[in-house]
Amino acid sequence: MSSDKGDVTTTDSAEEPDEVQAATPVKGGGGGRKNVVATLFRFQSLFGLALVFIAGVIFSPNVNGELIFLGVNNLFDIVRSVSEIGILAVGMTLVILIGGIDLSVGSMLGFSSVVVAVLLVNENWGVGPAVVVVLILGLAFGALQGALVASFGIQAFIVTLAGMQVARGLARITSGGQGVQISYGNDDPSKAPEVFSLIGERTFNGVVPISTLIFAAVAALAIMALRVTSFSRHVYAIGGNEKAARLSGVPVMRVKIIVFAICGLCAALAGIVHAGYLNFGGPNDGTMFELKAIAAVVIGGTSLMGGRGTVLGTVAGALLVGMLENILGLNNIKSDWQSIIIGLVIVLAAGLQRIRPASVSS
Amino acid sequence: MDDDVSPLVEMTSISKSYGGVQACRDIDFTVRAGEVHALLGENGAGKSTLMKVLSGEVVDHQGEIFIEGARIRFNRPIDAQRAGIAMIHQELDLVPALSIAENIFLGKELKTRAGTVDKRRMIRQTGELLERTGVALDPRRLVEELRTGEQQLVTIAKALSLDARVLIMDEPTSALSSHEVEQLFEVISELRASGVGMVYISHRMEEIGRVADRATVLRNGSVVAEFDARELTAAQASEAMVGRPVQTLFHTSTAATGDEVLVVNDLHVHPKHPSPGRRDPNGITLSVRAGEIVGLAGLLGAGRTELLETLYGIGSPGSWSGEVSLRGKRIRPRGARRALRMGMAFVPEDRRIAGLALEHSVLANTVLSIVDRLAVAGAVPRGRERDAAQRSVEELGVKLGSINDPVGSLSGGNQQKVVLGRGMLTDPVLLLLDEPTRGVDVGAKAEIYRLLGEAAKRGVGVLFASSELAELVGVCDRVIVLRDGRSVRELNTSEVGEADLLAASMGEGMVVDALANGEANGGEVA
Repeated sequence: MSSDKGDVTTTDSAEEPDEVQAATPVKGGGGGRKNVVATLFRFQSLFGLALVFIAGVIFSPNVNGELIFLGVNNLFDIVRSVSEIGILAVGMTLVILIGGIDLSVGSMLGFSSVVVAVLLVNENWGVGPAVVVVLILGLAFGALQGALVASFGIQAFIVTLAGMQVARGLARITSGGQGVQISYGNDDPSKAPEVFSLIGERTFNGVVPISTLIFAAVAALAIMALRVTSFSRHVYAIGGNEKAARLSGVPVMRVKIIVFAICGLCAALAGIVHAGYLNFGGPNDGTMFELKAIAAVVIGGTSLMGGRGTVLGTVAGALLVGMLENILGLNNIKSDWQSIIIGLVIVLAAGLQRIRPASVSS
Repeated sequence: MDDDVSPLVEMTSISKSYGGVQACRDIDFTVRAGEVHALLGENGAGKSTLMKVLSGEVVDHQGEIFIEGARIRFNRPIDAQRAGIAMIHQELDLVPALSIAENIFLGKELKTRAGTVDKRRMIRQTGELLERTGVALDPRRLVEELRTGEQQLVTIAKALSLDARVLIMDEPTSALSSHEVEQLFEVISELRASGVGMVYISHRMEEIGRVADRATVLRNGSVVAEFDARELTAAQASEAMVGRPVQTLFHTSTAATGDEVLVVNDLHVHPKHPSPGRRDPNGITLSVRAGEIVGLAGLLGAGRTELLETLYGIGSPGSWSGEVSLRGKRIRPRGARRALRMGMAFVPEDRRIAGLALEHSVLANTVLSIVDRLAVAGAVPRGRERDAAQRSVEELGVKLGSINDPVGSLSGGNQQKVVLGRGMLTDPVLLLLDEPTRGVDVGAKAEIYRLLGEAAKRGVGVLFASSELAELVGVCDRVIVLRDGRSVRELNTSEVGEADLLAASMGEGMVVDALANGEANGGEVA
């Protein structure tokens, strides 16, 4: 036994005298291949978007040899169609990053569209004050929900489920149950200032929808903020391990309230855009939009457990859904089938997340 | 040796690799009936993988397994369980929202004749089982109410309930107090007498000699040495594990101590919502000077964790009496953020639950406490963030591939260094540590001790709670013994040993010479 031991020990230590320390962390450099795989998974939604785009080109009907799908107007129709959901999804991404959820954003969109319409049409407010007031309402509503989640520890699902009901009710009360039509005329007190109608228009020779520009600005701001701010570090930390974040001095309660407030703000902005685009404040508008926003976030690769995900992914997720709907529509596939196909895409995206290379080893 | 009897378990030429990492390389391993076979090695040496092969959790391995001479192939964990192999995992696999009894009988609930769950019988049998394990717990209590150590005892009881012939114990004592360790050892000797073969994995060298018959040391996936465990010295074992002699494990503080950083005077916490599982401070008096390492000893449930949490502002809500001052200023921190600002840093007991976001990078975890301070107008400059993290991992000797790797890919010891580094980056005057070396291999332990010594040398006061008496005696200048939330003794470690500490912790009234001579500073606190 003892000679055995001696032999083994010497050969082993002769081979690798100083390797022991280096070998302790099990994961060394995994090589280039692993990095490629990791990158693929990291930007899964962008690759998905590219795939859907290619599918769009392949399956596009053509008129006089031109692919309808690739037409400039069609492409801008796609980005136009995802603007409201996209703005909602940006706020939703933040909430999901801290491990929460916000079911109230669809109702909040409806409420905001009604309030802005009422203020402009019935109350003769200027566009500036009306917009600011609606945004503040959204911010406050979100902050209130955040406070309930953060200080009483009620689950975000429950709080925002209640918020969804409340906002929908407020929308119906404010509008008296009827939609509020927005017509424009600067001199007529019962009409809205014309400047508000710009939201529904297209700029650059009538090509680029203004609402898309608003979505793009919101997304760019969020992407920047999540890259550079110390606030974003706190957001990710809470989603990654809330207890560890708290013990590390992260002001968990404050961050949560701010995140829900931002989400409410996004919902209010989406409501304004919605009203401007449709020239209508609809108390029942935005129904199910919260789920579409969540779908965009999930397809975008953000983990519902929190702590992992990007706004860029969410933007790609929202575009992917919009593009898919567009392609299916161009091919005259009924909306029932569209719904089923999008359902499958959500499962696929979530499935891909499950099989992503395990980044954690014991 | 006993070639005439085929061993209970014989594993031959076991190999297993994960991707490019060879976790096990051609390992032969046997367990005989009625023996305790210790398996030693640093984290990542292959112990866990080898045991996962034996328990049927890893099935795509090379090599063969024989149970009492018969070749067998496990396809699922249940196959191994049916063959009489039970494993007590290092990670506790209990369902928090169920009671102890429900956990023990999970998946094999006893039924009444009517087909409903027979709670009464399950509770009675669980009670018997717990008694056999030496635990005084009500079988009806919910697992989530139990402390980590108690949960660990329940896992052990659960494994016993399987009537296994082979029992694998992976770090069974890591969360146990000394007293409970003794109880576990009694259970082990009973099992040994009844012919159960056991595999015992531990980082605590002193336990191996006491409990094991044989010891096998793994390094980098291979068997590097086998010993008669009863004659094994800690130095021999460490050397085989690390592959070179380990320098003196403990740092002995030589820092000239300065002013009192922390003074706690007769602190009582009266919790708003008393909970039977918590032992809030109930008469704590102590002080920590700059450059001093003060230990907190005591049995499980003596209130060490609760004291540290109270000082860090995250204890039970409620009213205080008595006083706490930091650098001469009376404080009552509310919340970790304020405590950090006052100059305290805290390393919590369980780094996986309370210390780290395992999926996030080493970088993000390291700088989390100081991103606010690094930020300019709300934005964190990438370079400053990276520099701070790089400096921290270098100072602490964290071994990693890249600072962007997920912290969960590091070994336990290196993970712990990241938690420590995060605290140190805040430039604390007082460092609060709760079991910082738990589940950490011997090499990393020595480094953590060295780091604490260095922190102390720079004038940081350190308050260090541990259930490993050897490290308290080895690392600390003084040790405060807690019992039932009170500080009952203060011992000077240059004059007392582990036995004294144990005796004081258990309150057996053993006379400690140093105390009797009046050389230690403390004494009974009313």
